[in-house]
Amino acid sequence: MKKISGGNFKLKCLVNGRKINREIEPGRTLLEFIREDLGLKGTKEGCGEGECGACLALVDGKAVNSCLMAAAQLQGGELVTIEGLKGRDGGLHPLQKTFMEEGAVQCGFCIPGVIIAAEALLRKNPAATVDDIKMELTGNICRCTGYEKIIGAVKKAESLM
Amino acid sequence: MPELIIRPRTLKELWKILPTISAKRKYLAGGTDLVTAANAGFDACDAWVDISGLKELQSVKETKTSVLIGAGVRIAGLEAWGAVRRWLPVLTAAIPHFASPSLRNMATVGGNAANASPCADAVCALCAERAEVILELKGKKRRLPLSALFKGPKQTGIKKDELITAFEVPKWPHTGAYLKLGPRAYFGISKAAVALAIELDGDKIKSASVALASVAPVPLMAVKTAGCITGRILSPETARAAAALVKTEVSPITDARSDADYRREMCGVLLERALLGCEERLKAEG
Repeated sequence: MKKISGGNFKLKCLVNGRKINREIEPGRTLLEFIREDLGLKGTKEGCGEGECGACLALVDGKAVNSCLMAAAQLQGGELVTIEGLKGRDGGLHPLQKTFMEEGAVQCGFCIPGVIIAAEALLRKNPAATVDDIKMELTGNICRCTGYEKIIGAVKKAESLM
Repeated sequence: MPELIIRPRTLKELWKILPTISAKRKYLAGGTDLVTAANAGFDACDAWVDISGLKELQSVKETKTSVLIGAGVRIAGLEAWGAVRRWLPVLTAAIPHFASPSLRNMATVGGNAANASPCADAVCALCAERAEVILELKGKKRRLPLSALFKGPKQTGIKKDELITAFEVPKWPHTGAYLKLGPRAYFGISKAAVALAIELDGDKIKSASVALASVAPVPLMAVKTAGCITGRILSPETARAAAALVKTEVSPITDARSDADYRREMCGVLLERALLGCEERLKAEG
């Protein structure tokens, strides 16, 4: 029987509200697709093995570690990266505002992933408790702020969502 | 990284497509293990057969006597099914201990078994729930007790191209616990974990299963310990006896995560706690 050979994968998806049609390499990770093919540099690579959460993005409304997902698996789906989060007025998202107000950011490397995790939580649970927030952020590692200010900023954003 | 990714929509299409692609192929589902290995350069395959689009694997069904969990159900998706919450208390208790919320959104129950890590939390819990695993190869099905699937660390009895399609868990009126000891309270690979399932008749243990993670080359069924507590009163004495015996059944190693002696000791501590927790609940229910 004739073998199917390799070749690029034709990916159709929605990225931050825009229709995207791209040919990608079959082994491309979602993170490589976001950063290198789309040039959206807000999503970070920390560990590349699902431990740090810096690469989180929303796929069909759920937070995923984009370093461990094949980009081809996004076929027909909807991707939201940190660049796609906005407030109702088109300006900063409530989480972005409260993270600034609360001083929850130092080096900032982990923050896009943290905000994506927090957004996923507040979408499903708009009245999340501090314990809920801690549980949701178990997969996000920050080595600067010590989490207290991050948790405070997420809690504060609830009333602004 | 592979040169080809194939995304069949049905099992029928899958069996048709397999002979047409390179023999160096692997099934890809949640990606949390496979893509980690590929990123690190440890996954030498030409093609990924992405099974995440197979709708047939993505639901939980209930029969009169059992709960059938599709292998493609994501760990985070388990709790949404009433049958899981109602009939699988050990698996339900294990969910928050399984990696992180985002990894739970990705990882599948089938992948947790296929990866065959001795630390697999969902597998350990399902072993205690007495799950069977259902495998399919070109339409031909077979089944075996889940605990019998594993041959060693990362080694299973799964044949070339055979696919885990579901887990069938009998409905039996049990309570239980999943206690995990890791480097921190949540999101760590376990040093040791204990899954306990017991059926009670008053305060007597009518039936028991004990499974352990990270303390043997495979997810381990502590058969002697389960046998020892069966027929006994659920009490601190029984819990102590079980703790002493389980330490003789495990065969932990010293590695980057923990020491063999400590792990062995903790198996006793965790099982005693699990049984005492069940006893407390029983008393509280009066």
